[in-house]
Amino acid sequence: MMHHMILNVKDGDVSGSVNEMLKHLLSSAGIEALLVPQAVPSKKTVFPVLISDPKKLHADVFAPVLPVSTAAMVSRMTKVQPSSQPFGVVMHPCQIRALFELAKLNQVKLDNVVIIGVDCLGTFSVNTYASFPEKQNPTLFLLESFVKKTNDSEKYLRTACSVCTDMVPSNADIVIGLYGMDVEHEILIEAHTEKGKKLLEHLQLETGKDVNHRETAVKTVHEHQLKKYQMFIKEKSGLKGIALFAEFFDTCVNCHNCKTACPICYCRECLYESAVFDAEAYKFLRKAQTKGLLKMPQDTLLFHLGRMNHMILSCVKCGLCEQACPNNILLMDMFIPAAERTQKEFSYHPGKDVAEKIPMIVYREDEYKEVGEK
Amino acid sequence: MTEEKKEHNKEEFEPRIVGFLCNWCSYAGADLAGTSRIQYPPNVRIIRVMCSGSVDSMYILRALLEGADGVFVGGCHPGDCHYLDGNYKARRRMVLLKTILETFGLESERVWIRWISASEGQRFAETMRDMTDSIRKLGPNPIAKQWNI
Repeated sequence: MMHHMILNVKDGDVSGSVNEMLKHLLSSAGIEALLVPQAVPSKKTVFPVLISDPKKLHADVFAPVLPVSTAAMVSRMTKVQPSSQPFGVVMHPCQIRALFELAKLNQVKLDNVVIIGVDCLGTFSVNTYASFPEKQNPTLFLLESFVKKTNDSEKYLRTACSVCTDMVPSNADIVIGLYGMDVEHEILIEAHTEKGKKLLEHLQLETGKDVNHRETAVKTVHEHQLKKYQMFIKEKSGLKGIALFAEFFDTCVNCHNCKTACPICYCRECLYESAVFDAEAYKFLRKAQTKGLLKMPQDTLLFHLGRMNHMILSCVKCGLCEQACPNNILLMDMFIPAAERTQKEFSYHPGKDVAEKIPMIVYREDEYKEVGEK
Repeated sequence: MTEEKKEHNKEEFEPRIVGFLCNWCSYAGADLAGTSRIQYPPNVRIIRVMCSGSVDSMYILRALLEGADGVFVGGCHPGDCHYLDGNYKARRRMVLLKTILETFGLESERVWIRWISASEGQRFAETMRDMTDSIRKLGPNPIAKQWNI
């Protein structure tokens, strides 16, 4: 079920026109509030802001920055109790996938949540965005680069975004589409569910226009990105053996920021921060004696490998872990190949279908028969 | 190093294996091997756990990263789990762990999972022989020499 509508862009102001539409949605569609990306007063970044007063809505939905996981914010809002009143959330495709994974993990209640997905043109790191080199509005820069089909924005993209293959949202109620559109004049507004369709009826948008060229454009950009993704996997799969693996994490200071930023890592009390790792002095001294030396803090690789074991099947490759690293460890070089391999092994597609069970909580009796028998 | 010398070193090397055995099957199997006086290599250090399904990847990884040459997980045969499906879950977890280790070239062959029932003392002893031989051939765990982990 798909309903295409067209939002006419006024005076080439893409973000402004979308903001006007969201204002209408907030004031007339029976929605209590909208969680939208909105610039902080300094304009240094854009945060998810929960807005109930349409007058205070100045959404920048295409802003190329993702300082925190939007999915984690929805989890914070709904995990204690599902919302009894409808509210909308404007999300990047990766965050919708993360939201679905969190729903499977019982960390999000999707009741009364209206998911508004935006076509993603990629995001910059928080620091890049805050001190944008061109000293111009990053959103305008991004949209201009998109319209003129230059690759100007590419060099600023986070690694996760530059190799992302899912730039078009799936599982949203409403999609705000850019690919294949003449965005200086028209933006695609699409209802993917009955809920989305009903909401859009409140807006007087143009319907019945042919948008066949969108499908082709989406396919083209997907193929282009897929090539980049496959090249990345090929390039990064070279790292073999403990020496190189340890060297990769040599600058890790065990701050666990990657875990904090990860939308999937929801545990309040992470195993790797628990008392399991507390020990008496003599144990440290004994450990030092076995090798003659002991690096402090210890268990760096244990944390990364262990965390990976716990979350990798649900990894949506958003790259927020890498963005959070104070020492710029290129975590995607490790996590993307691992996610690709493990998810393939279990034929699992995180965030695709809320009914698809996370592989570690289910099993089949007749699978992996060779494991444990040889 | 000459081939001869290498061989000599391998002979000296005694693998240290950490074994997580489930209380209901494999541990009882190991017990039976003992009470039946079946000989098997003393290279395995046994840790009794309630179920193979309770062995989080962290325990296996920690043993490996602390320098154990091998990690063994023993559970009930599929279908026989005391808690109905713990070993099926352990099996999936093992596939996940091994896939991750393989992604980074971290010698997943040092980690074994086998199903051994309470009546299979002989099988337990044989498995320990097999694993010790296999790890002996692999040589010492290279992680043991790495201190920047």
